[in-house]
Amino acid sequence: MPAASARTSPLSSARRSLLLFAALIGLGACARPPAPPEDLLAPTEEQMRIRNLQTRVFDVSDRQLAMRGVITALQDLGFIIERANEPLGLVTAARFAEPRYFDVVGISVTVRPRGAGQVAIRANAIFNNEPITEPEVYQNFFATLERSLFIEGN
Amino acid sequence: MPTTTPSSRQRRANARPRALRGPGLLLGAALFATGCATAPRTTPRELFQLAPESAAHKATQTRHFETRDSDELLSASAAVLQDLGFQVTESDRDLGFLRAAKERSAREYGQEIRRGIVAFLTTLLSAFGGGNAVVVLPVDLHQQINASLIAQPSREREGSHEVRIVFYRLVWKGDGSSGDTRIPPGEQRMLMIRDAEIYQRFFGRLQKSVFLESEKL
Repeated sequence: MPAASARTSPLSSARRSLLLFAALIGLGACARPPAPPEDLLAPTEEQMRIRNLQTRVFDVSDRQLAMRGVITALQDLGFIIERANEPLGLVTAARFAEPRYFDVVGISVTVRPRGAGQVAIRANAIFNNEPITEPEVYQNFFATLERSLFIEGN
Repeated sequence: MPTTTPSSRQRRANARPRALRGPGLLLGAALFATGCATAPRTTPRELFQLAPESAAHKATQTRHFETRDSDELLSASAAVLQDLGFQVTESDRDLGFLRAAKERSAREYGQEIRRGIVAFLTTLLSAFGGGNAVVVLPVDLHQQINASLIAQPSREREGSHEVRIVFYRLVWKGDGSSGDTRIPPGEQRMLMIRDAEIYQRFFGRLQKSVFLESEKL
């Protein structure tokens, strides 16, 4: 390190160490970027816990009938059906919470046959782009869905 | 020749009251840290419960049609939406699902007049009071009207179908200013369309279309 000459303004020791510090931080950018964690796509504890809440099995033999029930329930709850795919058993819907139009509730429902005369219905609900983890919300949904599926009382 | 030397600069900096610096920094750090301490936002527990107005909305949005042909009904619904100026964007035959959208200008006289009055009054205010207090309110510029329709076999009446449609709009505002601050354009809000007349108009056309089709057979 060349010593500061008499003509240039001498750097105080505090300023020199600050400059060295800044240079070290700058050099840190040349380091290898941190590797993504190995369990990046693995479900979190939270996700595993709510997976059971999100799925329910119903005694409905016809999958299309179950899907119609899901759609009716969602429409009654004020949802706008955004996407529907019968062969895959997918329904996606969303609604804005009135009167505050800032909160968005989205739900993605899949209906899959399960065993004889039963279907498994799974609902993934999100609130403002974050997954909903409260059990009551899913219980509310499945209660409304049950009413919609078995409205004839058979 | 520099007028200040490093030592004099140091002395000037120290002229700030020392007594306030330490606790001031601590207070600032504490306030900053409270941001991390706020509880995560929870969702309302009442989500997915039927609201009392749900039955009234259902009545406005639903009609029954005495037809057994679900494909024809869905096709007729798409035709009516096209007549009303919509573009059908998505469909699913087995579930009788249609989704359509149309874009229109959202400018309306009331908002433009209000904007003019507010701009005029605030200009007067700033002319007399000095400074810049001119407020130009952003007005609605553009809207997208959307429709989501489901046509299903009716469960109450055998041999008839039930069509339920919901109309809603997304509105974007233009830009404006408040004093020297510019309000950028693009503020968006969403409104459900609850006006019964629009639904009656849609179902009137659909009824006519289905009636004409069934007459042909």
